[in-house]
Amino acid sequence: MAFNGNFMCTSFKQELLEAKHNFLNSGGSTFNLALYTNSATFTAATTAYTSTNEISNTAGSAYSAKGVALTRVNPSVSGTTALTDFADASFSSATFTARGALIFNDSASGDPSVVVLDFGADKTATNGTFTVVFPTADASNAIIRIA
Amino acid sequence: MNIPALDIGLSKDFAVEVHTSNGRGFNPEEIAERCADKIISVSDTAHPAIQAQARAFKDNIVKLVEFYLAEAVKNDRTTVYNALTDAGHPELASLIRRL
Repeated sequence: MAFNGNFMCTSFKQELLEAKHNFLNSGGSTFNLALYTNSATFTAATTAYTSTNEISNTAGSAYSAKGVALTRVNPSVSGTTALTDFADASFSSATFTARGALIFNDSASGDPSVVVLDFGADKTATNGTFTVVFPTADASNAIIRIA
Repeated sequence: MNIPALDIGLSKDFAVEVHTSNGRGFNPEEIAERCADKIISVSDTAHPAIQAQARAFKDNIVKLVEFYLAEAVKNDRTTVYNALTDAGHPELASLIRRL
């Protein structure tokens, strides 16, 4: 009953072939990042957003259900690898703890999942800023790559 | 003819970083570090001379970005100070100016 690594959801790979997701900055799908406690049990078999074990605010109202919408970065290519990225996601005036996150497509029917993110440990902000920093958007590290 | 399968997935050492602060927001120095990380990265397997050059360049970028972020904060506070003063809250405006 805990986060157990980062996963690209298998259903997402299939849905890419079904044109269910659009990562263009202009006119693309809305991708959200939702935060979870360590009781969440996500794997590559996770198929959709759930409110089960989603975090709540210890104080204040920085976090609300379904988290925050991510800012898309237009897909590009590096060599023979296609990739896309998101701008870092921030919650300000935050007082909460999270162990991991789920990125999902909030504009597609059923809120299909994209990626499971494991923070490696509980991360806490108290009356501060909570920021999820995505890896360098290159052919080796970008969050979503097709090589 | 066999066409190689596409590789769609996360890299072996994939990880996101989480940065948090307590009792305050991030300061220009902390944000400048993150900004430079997005601008410049160098492989651990690159030639040592190239790694050293990239790191030196990154240090300069951090200082430059930090300076302009601090300028942005100062200028925004001036705008907020004026808005609060114009709205009849000089004491609150003074608090903002002293931050």
